[in-house]
Amino acid sequence: MNLALKEIKKNKVKFLILGSIVFLVSLLTFIISGLANGLSQDNASLIKDLPEGQFYMNAEAEETYNLSRINSSMQEELINDYKDATAFSIQMGFLNDQHDKQQSVVFVTSTGSEIFKDVKAGEILLDRSMEDKGVKIGDRLTNPQFSGEFIVKGFVDQSKFSHAAVAFINIENYKELYRVDEMQLVFIPKENAPQEITGLQSFSKQEFLKTIPSYNAEQMTLTMIVWFLVVISGMLFAIFFYMMNVQKIGLYGILKAIGLKTSRLFTMMWTQMMFITLTSLALSIAISQSFNMVAPEGMPFHLSIETTLILSGVFFVIGFIGTTIASLQIKKIEPLQAIQQGEM
Amino acid sequence: MSLFTMNKVRKTFTNGDMKEEILKGVNLSLREGEITALVGASGSGKSTLLTIAAGLQSASDGQVLFQENNLSTMNQEQIREIRSKKFGFIFQFAHLVPFLTVEEQLMLMLDVSETKLKKDEQKREVEIILQLVGMDHRKQAYPSSLSGGEKQRVAIARAIIHKPKVLFADEPTASLDSKRSKDIMDLIRDITKTLNITTLIVTHDEEMLSYADHIIKMSDGLIMQEAGLNYELKENA
Repeated sequence: MNLALKEIKKNKVKFLILGSIVFLVSLLTFIISGLANGLSQDNASLIKDLPEGQFYMNAEAEETYNLSRINSSMQEELINDYKDATAFSIQMGFLNDQHDKQQSVVFVTSTGSEIFKDVKAGEILLDRSMEDKGVKIGDRLTNPQFSGEFIVKGFVDQSKFSHAAVAFINIENYKELYRVDEMQLVFIPKENAPQEITGLQSFSKQEFLKTIPSYNAEQMTLTMIVWFLVVISGMLFAIFFYMMNVQKIGLYGILKAIGLKTSRLFTMMWTQMMFITLTSLALSIAISQSFNMVAPEGMPFHLSIETTLILSGVFFVIGFIGTTIASLQIKKIEPLQAIQQGEM
Repeated sequence: MSLFTMNKVRKTFTNGDMKEEILKGVNLSLREGEITALVGASGSGKSTLLTIAAGLQSASDGQVLFQENNLSTMNQEQIREIRSKKFGFIFQFAHLVPFLTVEEQLMLMLDVSETKLKKDEQKREVEIILQLVGMDHRKQAYPSSLSGGEKQRVAIARAIIHKPKVLFADEPTASLDSKRSKDIMDLIRDITKTLNITTLIVTHDEEMLSYADHIIKMSDGLIMQEAGLNYELKENA
């Protein structure tokens, strides 16, 4: 006889309320987490979406990619010596559309490789957010420092840097735009990357992200918000499951008195915890993932299944701990205590 | 023949530096198939004696022997097993599981006592016992919809469905009015006699004593008097 499910069936409202709390709190955590990740993507998706690898910048640049210049001969040497090595540069800038309206962008260019978008001279590829700002394929965009025009060839998804849309341009156009011949950085995919190159400072992806101005502070704040919420929600879950079971000490005592094994009481408590948590989390995951798909374009929201499952796992473990702590109380209870408490 | 024996049972409760001896070396034997009533003033130790006999708490000293088993030397799991298979309980309150129907309460007891009956045999057994206590028409009802007397009938059914050897009843009629108390005691007597169940019953209600084969009077943690009731009643008359 499954006592856990029989109790849920009889006390639907009580379990529905408890399930609703787990559902709402977990949904809140997922949504906040999605917004935090969205902001993080908005700040650095250009870098975050690259494969794992090493970034190299001039050792004298003091970890500021803007100040880094890798001389041409070393750049040539690295590209020839290491498979899939790419030199690239990132610079803030702006574009004027046909109505002379200015749009802030981040110009990105690279030596030819599959890692960054390759564009021909006079062409430009833009992050899709520019489409929402009225830019269309075939539009001609200008910049006062560039003698020609950029023809919009297409849009790419999720290419943001420092909360601005990325604009991929040809390396020759970049050199004219910024009056430089050297690239700022070299990226070498993980499997080919050496630990040290003389004169250059090496960064993993995470380390490089931290060199982006404001990224680190923003991330720490967002991570703090999410984990603070996770801890508070987790404690709330644990307390709810603890209270739910401690309130039933009388019932458990009577069940013990008639001879029910303590292990069966534990199974009953864990089954109820699992039923409530899994049902509520499944609903939260479904709604938050649906929101992920329908969130307005301008809203930075990014919630991966991986993040959702990690958070769900944390909630499940905390719920389990809360129930187990309560079950230790139940283990100690003497049947006689429950009998002497009077009618339930 | 003695089915259940207690030898020199003592129970001491400690509260800080204070020690209170509730049972002061009690000897007791329960004869098979008989109803034994434990009577005495409040605080005389009768409920403590019953709960120790039923394995719901341990004695500080002495022996509790049931069949070939010495409960005093057994661990909690061994006692639980005896409790679930060989003992039945009726308390002052019915203590039914609130989320189970009347039928499910009894099915649970059969489940706990690990009877080797198949599902349909269990259902048949439940039907028979419910007829015996006159509750077969309420088998789908939940405890919240039952009256006090009905609840106690279900509690009796739950206490005997697994055919226990010993039935322990602690003031089973204390929460009922006199009419219902009489009905319940009639029921306990009829069932225990029919199924040959040895019964130890704690009561302070003089009227209930007429149902007992044997009366034990307790005072201040000791057995003061032991007699067959019918004999004693005749004596008084």
